[in-house]
Amino acid sequence: MATLPIKNKIRELRFFAEEMTQQELAELVGVTRQTIMAIEKCKYSPTLEVAFKIAEVFGQSIDEVFQYQSV
Amino acid sequence: MSFKEKSIWISLVSTVVIFGDYFLNILSLSRLPAEIAKTTALELSLRALFLIIIVEIIFQGMLAVGNRKAADLGADERDKLYEYKGNNFGYTVLVIGVFISLGRIVFLEMNPQFMAQTDVLNIPLLTAHILLFSFIFSEVVRFSAQLYYYRSSY
Repeated sequence: MATLPIKNKIRELRFFAEEMTQQELAELVGVTRQTIMAIEKCKYSPTLEVAFKIAEVFGQSIDEVFQYQSV
Repeated sequence: MSFKEKSIWISLVSTVVIFGDYFLNILSLSRLPAEIAKTTALELSLRALFLIIIVEIIFQGMLAVGNRKAADLGADERDKLYEYKGNNFGYTVLVIGVFISLGRIVFLEMNPQFMAQTDVLNIPLLTAHILLFSFIFSEVVRFSAQLYYYRSSY
């Protein structure tokens, strides 16, 4: 599956959140660890709801976490 | 590998093994006399049905016990999306199978002279088996498509 055009800074934000694990983030958001991994690698675009939840966990706005890069 | 993905692997392997064996046995019935073949076909169908239920209960149960937290969480949005995409593929295969079966029924009804030629196969309840094969094959396609999406997203 090709990499999707929606990029994100989740890995970086996890690092600055005291190296939060994917599992911890997954539990806070209510998805599986594998889904967080797929989102991080830009292999899966989350729904708006999950995107907002992820942004909320890091105390950021959604456009600070996710960026659309047109080809 | 996520809980849901493991669960799909169990369903795929058990379906392929149990119904693969079933269809191979059905093909070998063409050598038996018609009455015996009919009874044996029914026995094989019941055995396959019984086996798939038992195997699914045992293995899915073991998986859920070993991954209680993930089992409680259920399907997340990515699982649901892949399930939906897999269903689309499976449904397409099923519809093709149903139309082939319908076409065969209509064709033989309109051209009874070809009826004798289909008897060469000598498989009892042939139409039912074509429909069952379509259904099982659509399930295999559905599971495979879901696994493809899971594997592609890592």
